[in-house]
Amino acid sequence: MTKFATVTSAAIAAGLLLVATSLSAAENITFWTLNFSSEAANKAFTAVVSDFEAANPGAEVTVVTRGTDDHKTAIRVAAGTDKGPDIYFMWAGLGLGGEYVKAGLSLPLDKYYADYKWDDEVVPAAGSFSRMYPGGRHGVPSSLSGEALYYNKSLFAKAGITSTPANYDELVADAEKLKAAGIPAIAFGGTVNWHVMRLMDVILEAKCGAEKHDALTAMTVKWTDEACVVQSFGELQKWGKNYILSPFMGIDDSQAFNLFLANRAAMMLEGDWLVQQLAEAGKIDDIDLFPFPTRTNRLYGFANYYYVSSKSKNPDLAAKFLDYLLSTPVQQKLLGVSGTTSINKNVTYGELRPMTKKWLDLFNTHDKVFLNGDQAFPLDITTEYFRVINEVVSGNMAPADAAAAMQTFITNKG
Amino acid sequence: MTASVETAAAQAGKPPRDWVLISLWISLVVVAAVWIAPFVFIVFTSLKSTAQVMTSSAFAPPTDPQFSNFTAAWARGRFSTTVVNSVIITAVKVPLGLFLSAMAAYALAKIPMRFGKLILVLILFGTMIPFQVMLAPIFTLVNGFGLIDTYPGVILPYLAFGIPYQVFILYGFFRNIPHELSEAARIDGASHFTTFRRVFLPVSLPVLAALFILDFVATWNEFAMALVLLQDREMWTLPLGLSAFQGQFSRDYGQLNAAIVMTVLPAIIVYLIFQRYFVSGLTSGAVKG
Amino acid sequence: MAERAILSNTRVQAALLLGPALVVYVVFAVFPMLDVIWLSFFKWNGLDPVKAYVGTANYVDVFTKDPVFWVAFRNTVIWTALSVAIPPMIGLALALGLNQPIFGRNSLRAIYYLPVIIASIAVATMWRWMYDPFFGLFGQILTSLGLQAWVPDWLGNRDIALYSAFGAYVWQSVGFSMVLFLAGLQGVNKSLVEAARIDGAGRWAVFRYVTLPALRTTLTIVLVLAIISSLKAFDIVYGLTGGGPAQSTQMLALWAFTQSMQIFDFGRGSAISVVLLAVTLAVVIPYMRWSQKREETAE
Repeated sequence: MTKFATVTSAAIAAGLLLVATSLSAAENITFWTLNFSSEAANKAFTAVVSDFEAANPGAEVTVVTRGTDDHKTAIRVAAGTDKGPDIYFMWAGLGLGGEYVKAGLSLPLDKYYADYKWDDEVVPAAGSFSRMYPGGRHGVPSSLSGEALYYNKSLFAKAGITSTPANYDELVADAEKLKAAGIPAIAFGGTVNWHVMRLMDVILEAKCGAEKHDALTAMTVKWTDEACVVQSFGELQKWGKNYILSPFMGIDDSQAFNLFLANRAAMMLEGDWLVQQLAEAGKIDDIDLFPFPTRTNRLYGFANYYYVSSKSKNPDLAAKFLDYLLSTPVQQKLLGVSGTTSINKNVTYGELRPMTKKWLDLFNTHDKVFLNGDQAFPLDITTEYFRVINEVVSGNMAPADAAAAMQTFITNKG
Repeated sequence: MTASVETAAAQAGKPPRDWVLISLWISLVVVAAVWIAPFVFIVFTSLKSTAQVMTSSAFAPPTDPQFSNFTAAWARGRFSTTVVNSVIITAVKVPLGLFLSAMAAYALAKIPMRFGKLILVLILFGTMIPFQVMLAPIFTLVNGFGLIDTYPGVILPYLAFGIPYQVFILYGFFRNIPHELSEAARIDGASHFTTFRRVFLPVSLPVLAALFILDFVATWNEFAMALVLLQDREMWTLPLGLSAFQGQFSRDYGQLNAAIVMTVLPAIIVYLIFQRYFVSGLTSGAVKG
Repeated sequence: MAERAILSNTRVQAALLLGPALVVYVVFAVFPMLDVIWLSFFKWNGLDPVKAYVGTANYVDVFTKDPVFWVAFRNTVIWTALSVAIPPMIGLALALGLNQPIFGRNSLRAIYYLPVIIASIAVATMWRWMYDPFFGLFGQILTSLGLQAWVPDWLGNRDIALYSAFGAYVWQSVGFSMVLFLAGLQGVNKSLVEAARIDGAGRWAVFRYVTLPALRTTLTIVLVLAIISSLKAFDIVYGLTGGGPAQSTQMLALWAFTQSMQIFDFGRGSAISVVLLAVTLAVVIPYMRWSQKREETAE
């Protein structure tokens, strides 16, 4: 606590020092982000903004929050006008975030990364996304999410599984053991397309390896040329037929979670946010987790980012605000309010749930992340990827046809 | 002009015991039971906890009614916001739309115009074309006016797509109003405004009432256009709120069903109150017109 | 005084009465319809400052390169055909039944009509829950009948999902046809029915030769409205399946919406809309002319 206080006061002192050297005239920036998950998060963020304004006389930060879909549309609505934001929230990756970068709406931040030394503060896995765009570094991380396999300890024991699988084949062998014990291995909800997609993503990573998987999502190699693609679709079909709690195409992810809580299936491929939900459901002691054994040493997940708009009239102030936001004291303050882990690696953690601790270790030990397919692909390809996955997993499309369908769509897009 | 149901019933109901009628009645009751079953299921579920839903039978009445589902769903579904938006939009759109339609229908039916026939066809055309086809251009149009996420931004398109059907019905009704009635007023020197207000509006009250209820329900329930035009959740209407609720909290079965009940209840109440008016109005207007 | 003179001019009065409705209608309904045709010749993602003219490329893409378009097309045709046939038929049967002097007629009518006044999106939410394969109503009914193994994945199995969704639509729309038919039945000449009865005509004969011909106008209205409202399937499909599984329940209107407002390919979405518009016109225009002609010859 005392340490926290000294850090804070040091930061404020540093802030005051900066004021004396730079800013003079009144400047304002607009900050567009998603609705905060709770009132506490909202308050904490408002406090951060007013602290920043207090430390930088003349600076004014207007925060506008919206729902997810509204936010996506709002940015498009603003794109044609000059009324857009200076800083906007968007997911990282060539899909959603990349589209805005491609349309020239994001300002390259290389200069600020160097000036403010953000790389010294940011968790490497979270920061890695800023490098994936052509033409410079774009955006700074706001949060990092990982996805892993949660499993029901007693169901695993019942099926005679004593250790977590070390590779994909062992995982399939475990799924087979569960099946033999009459336990569906894993629960998915098919109506939200991105849920089953996770399984395909991780199988591709396991079967094709990191490099080839990246080339596939970047669409620089043909889906039909790589044997591992057909193989992966074949594996997906196998899971759909044998191991996924059925029926699953007619339910959504949260209904699948209900079934998982009711011990109807042994595993779920879910994100770090599930820890909180498991705790609320009083099931946290029955569940543990392990990363999907892809053996590529990359974490499966995605990051939320803040980008500076290329139309911003005050990019320096925007970068300064982002620097303040990323700083250790501010992140320390936001910790536990807007997330259980921070993208700042210097943040200190108090007493943590064992499972949260596990996630933190996963974030800190992985310096590379492979993205969820729907963040990696452009929107139209994502839509087709969903369709093909759903056809394969419900047994309506042969694996080879699936690879061909993907490639045809990609080729047609040109 | 309107042979009443009662006299028809009295005439046809001579044979006291008609086995055809009895079996007909039984089958109608069975169909009615099937028709009402979903409501029973929804109401029962809305009063159960998630655990009860997962263990008890679908038609088992809730043993320990969870009224908290309703308060929880009200808060999580942001009903206090969506109800207000729905009320404002409906309260402005329905009377205004009906008034504009009635004026237009009167002009088309009673004032000879050079392009009257053409305009009528153009409007009739509108009754056939689903606005679902035009969601994207409506979005860009409203966005062009800077009216996304505003009440006028959704009310104006609502008016535009409500007008054709209402004009179509009212035109049919006005045309059948005896010529002498309007001519008498006209000869007395009344303007068309006066004739419209003093003669036509009063006699068309039943039709207007029917259209009012129809339009209330349609506006209250509209989803697709609101989905496109009201992006800000502070501006959401009830249907948008329910859809979002389903997407976010579908695993809280009790609360989800409580949200359904709260969404549909206002329309059901309005219907049950105005039912008779509604059917009789539709009878005199829509079919005979 | 001059003001009064202007207002007493019939043309001015007509313009003032007709104008407001016409302006709103033209700006917010007719213009978007033309705009959708215009947009269909451009490539635009909503982000770029300019729309690029691409000729008929969007149509070519939709017809030859879109793996979902023809599925959506087929589903739209099936859905329209079913909704012209089934709900009006049931509605007519119920109306004929309710037209008899039976006990509780008004309550029965109210019950059948109740689903009509519920928001489509609420109907979709209700039915989605009833179709829940684990705890839903239908699954439970089959389970209690010992048919556990027969519980299908109502909305997740591509072979039946469209028809499951249609089931919800039937439940919702039957009451509407019924009320219109009931109203039409009041226009049937009672003395004609009596006369036929006295002449020894059976129930069927009375229906076939007296009632049905008298219902012709009603029938026209009901069928036209059935076609129009079948295209409103947007809400119910959006809420029940969202076009899934694997786009197998996709419809033209929903697919146009998805392309424009979710994938943000406005050109392609508009091209799909134009196709739907053309299909609608191909049905509606001949139908209107046909019914008009019949009406004229009947008079």
